[in-house]
Amino acid sequence: MIYFWFAFMLSISVVYLLWFLYRPSRNKPLNLEQSNIELGKQKRLELQSDLEQGLIDAADFNQANDEIAQTLALELSQHNHNTRFNTPPSFWLSGLIIVFLLALSLGIYQILSPKPQPPTIQTQIMSLSLEDSVIKLQNRLLENPNDAKAWQILGLAYFELGKLDKSLNAYEKAYQLEPKNPRLLTEYASTLAIKNDNNFSGRSIELIKQALEIEPNAPDALYMAGLFAVSEHDFPLAKKLWQRALSVLSTDSPDRAVLLEVLAQLETLTIEDQGKSSKTETKHFVRVKVDFSDKILATRGDDFIMIYAKPVHGRPMPIAIQKIKLKNFNTSITLTDAHSIIPSRKLSQANQIIITARLSKSGAAIKQADDIQISSEAVNIIDNPTVYLQFN
Amino acid sequence: MWVEIGHFALILALVFALLQVFLPVIGLTMGNFTLSKICRPVLWMHFFWVIIAFSILMNAFIVDDFSLKYVANNSNTELPTIFKISAVWGAHEGSLLLWALILVAWSVAVSLFSKRLPDEVLTPILIILGVISVGFLLFLLFTSNPFERLDIIPTQGRELNPLLQDFGLIIHPPMLYMGYVGMAVPFAFVLSALIRGQLDSTWLRWSRPWTLVAWAFLTIGITLGSWWAYYELGWGGWWFWDPVENASFMPWLVATALVHSLSVSEKRASFKHWTVLLAITGFSLSLLGTFLVRSGILTSVHSFASDPARGLFVLIFLVIVVGGSLGLYAWRANLMRGGNAFAFLSRESALLVNNILLVAAMLSVFLGTLYPLLLDSLGLGKISVGAPYFDAVFVPIMIPAVLAMAVAPFLRWKKDQTRRLSGVLKNAWIGAVLSLLVALFLIANIWVVLAVFLFVWVVLHSLLLLWQRLGKKGSINLAFIGMILAHIGIGVFLLGATVVTQYGVEKDIKMALNETHTIQGYDFVFKGADNFAFSNYKGHKGRVEVFFDNEKITTLRPEKRQYITGMPMTEAAIDPSLRQDLYVSLGESLGDGAWSLRLYYKPLVRLIWLGGILIALGALLAAFDSRYRFRRDL
Repeated sequence: MIYFWFAFMLSISVVYLLWFLYRPSRNKPLNLEQSNIELGKQKRLELQSDLEQGLIDAADFNQANDEIAQTLALELSQHNHNTRFNTPPSFWLSGLIIVFLLALSLGIYQILSPKPQPPTIQTQIMSLSLEDSVIKLQNRLLENPNDAKAWQILGLAYFELGKLDKSLNAYEKAYQLEPKNPRLLTEYASTLAIKNDNNFSGRSIELIKQALEIEPNAPDALYMAGLFAVSEHDFPLAKKLWQRALSVLSTDSPDRAVLLEVLAQLETLTIEDQGKSSKTETKHFVRVKVDFSDKILATRGDDFIMIYAKPVHGRPMPIAIQKIKLKNFNTSITLTDAHSIIPSRKLSQANQIIITARLSKSGAAIKQADDIQISSEAVNIIDNPTVYLQFN
Repeated sequence: MWVEIGHFALILALVFALLQVFLPVIGLTMGNFTLSKICRPVLWMHFFWVIIAFSILMNAFIVDDFSLKYVANNSNTELPTIFKISAVWGAHEGSLLLWALILVAWSVAVSLFSKRLPDEVLTPILIILGVISVGFLLFLLFTSNPFERLDIIPTQGRELNPLLQDFGLIIHPPMLYMGYVGMAVPFAFVLSALIRGQLDSTWLRWSRPWTLVAWAFLTIGITLGSWWAYYELGWGGWWFWDPVENASFMPWLVATALVHSLSVSEKRASFKHWTVLLAITGFSLSLLGTFLVRSGILTSVHSFASDPARGLFVLIFLVIVVGGSLGLYAWRANLMRGGNAFAFLSRESALLVNNILLVAAMLSVFLGTLYPLLLDSLGLGKISVGAPYFDAVFVPIMIPAVLAMAVAPFLRWKKDQTRRLSGVLKNAWIGAVLSLLVALFLIANIWVVLAVFLFVWVVLHSLLLLWQRLGKKGSINLAFIGMILAHIGIGVFLLGATVVTQYGVEKDIKMALNETHTIQGYDFVFKGADNFAFSNYKGHKGRVEVFFDNEKITTLRPEKRQYITGMPMTEAAIDPSLRQDLYVSLGESLGDGAWSLRLYYKPLVRLIWLGGILIALGALLAAFDSRYRFRRDL
């Protein structure tokens, strides 16, 4: 169907061109010589008018009048009297023009039209579940263990699955193969920090520094460096780093929203830090009610129940968390700003959040093999919502 | 399917732009009139295909076709329809398509409204405009294609930058582009004259009205941009000497010089060098401005490197256009020798002074805008050039320019006498000096005193000129009224800009519920902030009641919005009047019902935009003067 439209568009173009190439000429063209003569006359009239209005001295009038005549004489002497033929172009020239039109338009479309891309490792795993992606990546890495990109993606997949040790292993291998990839360094550093209960270790800081040495304006690395600065209560440095990250992002980048949000939060934090607002306040909260089946209550009473909130937009790191033994859990808890992990990322500063509840024997921050967890739909924090979750 | 039709239409537009260049060139070379004359119909077809491409892109926004990367990145289903339409030019690719559309629309206008222009003049003009179109369409299709598809179609698009979700965006870019692109017309006239080797009366006479129209649109575009920044950014400023603003201001300064220079070249056959150079510089700066803004260089020099294809294309295109035209200028320099003589005290001299000052002002802005970028890109460190530099350099240049501007229309062509001039102007000068003395007595601020003096100076001279002409039959025409309006517009702008800068009050404060803060006798009472929601954002709407002498004047409702992408936005509330604006913007919630607020008192701020409107109106009136129509009784 689309080719029918293309043919139609090309036909219109060809017929239109041919019509104007071969139609009889109607009007006699205006001559440049004649145009300059008429303008010369008009300038003289205007000069006369200037004299009447006192815009030129009578003594200078004659000189200006002579100058107009001299200018006209010069213009007429410069005029090229080219002989021009008013004949339609020959058929071969017209044919050439039409071939040019058809070939060029179809040729450019051929270059620019969307083409099926050979599948990359990303596109190959895009439609798979995380678990299937890991299997696919592992198989690929058995065939080609030096594929740094695949190791990096495996690290990310393990991270999403909560398998932080495996994620770090994969990132380390990717790092050995490609130590100058700032994006990889930042992801590696970020995972290390999360593994370390959201604290920046020497190694994670080192990686961020390396990333910034390689690419001083890498937005991800600047973002992470800013988070580290906040954890060190160096708010001016954090502001500087995030503003720099903001300046290098294109205007249509979705990461701008995240940076603007954290900068706004930093502003509030700075004011609070300066003692302008000394008391701790709970602006917004979310009440979480969790029901458990009798079987779970009977078998996992000594487990920890961890309930945390993650923002829908921005980095998927928990922003508020409570951990309690299941046997001590009283059906509901309330997450507030007081349960924030990082001072700069408070619960009430998020827009939309997802609540996750996880039952864990170890109580470790990272999801373990026998942990079970459920998550809510996205809720608006501004509504101070109540979220119901159920473990069956 | 529609998207592919739009894509193919844009390709056809490029092919017709190439035909618009090559067919007449072949025709002129072979002496075949039919081929050279086909330039016009080919241009119309070029226009037709760009219109089709633009309409299909707009339709893709309206129907939420997220298979298009550009639509998915700049629109979503929740965006109101009017902003879906304006989102077409809300980012890089679409705004370049708008540029291309406006350029071809200008070309069509030239082809339709220049019927008295001989074909041997018009055809090269349309060829030059075609070359520029080819450059832009190649840039669009190969580096910034708005019809690029996504392999995986998202169910929802991203957010159009909330700053751009505003009436200002709907009209500001098209108006500014009309000005930017309009500068291509005098440029094409000049290049055509240089190529033909005939810098004659025909070129000079017919390029002036087009220059005036382009200048008017540039003025409207800049004025709208200033107004939009004032109410939308929530900072209460009307001009920031921001590189993006400077990028539009530089061609405006050159265009101002050009309309004056053209009048001398046209009437007295002098200043041809200047006129040619100004026309080339004006368009080169327009091009530079567009690319500086749209290539991302101004956000950061590094984002330039992040897309080397665009950066390289920009550089090559600029080198071809600027280098090529300057090369042509050098080659044809012999055509511009001579020029008619004039005395030191003459209208020609005054206009020359005006030209030099305007170009010096442009160079000062150019230096302040590009020097930091150059240093940064060469890795020589970051420096910040802001308002203090521009105020210190630009203002002293413009003061003598304004003084000369008012006097120049009284000067005679070729030669004048000081005694005659002072005799004519003594009343205006006495009035201006009296106003200066009164201002010195009443006003403590020296800058405001100076602004009042310059305003009175300009207005008295303009009124005196009008009075003198009233008695003379046939001496008042559209060009004259246009000049008076534009000059008064400069005075009005100057007064507004100085008073609001010197006497404007800005308070950044924390306000508790029912707390009152007083500025210049106005009591601002904070009555809290309510939650509210709209289709694509939610947030808080503050309530600030304003009293004067215990009488309630207005209630202002500033907003703090949170868009669905999480991007925060401040929407200021303004109580506008010619005398002053009362302006409130909502900051952050500080707990216990307290908020941070910005309160502004902005005296005479509206005069800034009124001045801009007067200048633009004056330019448009002058463009439609009867002198630019042939009189058949000659």
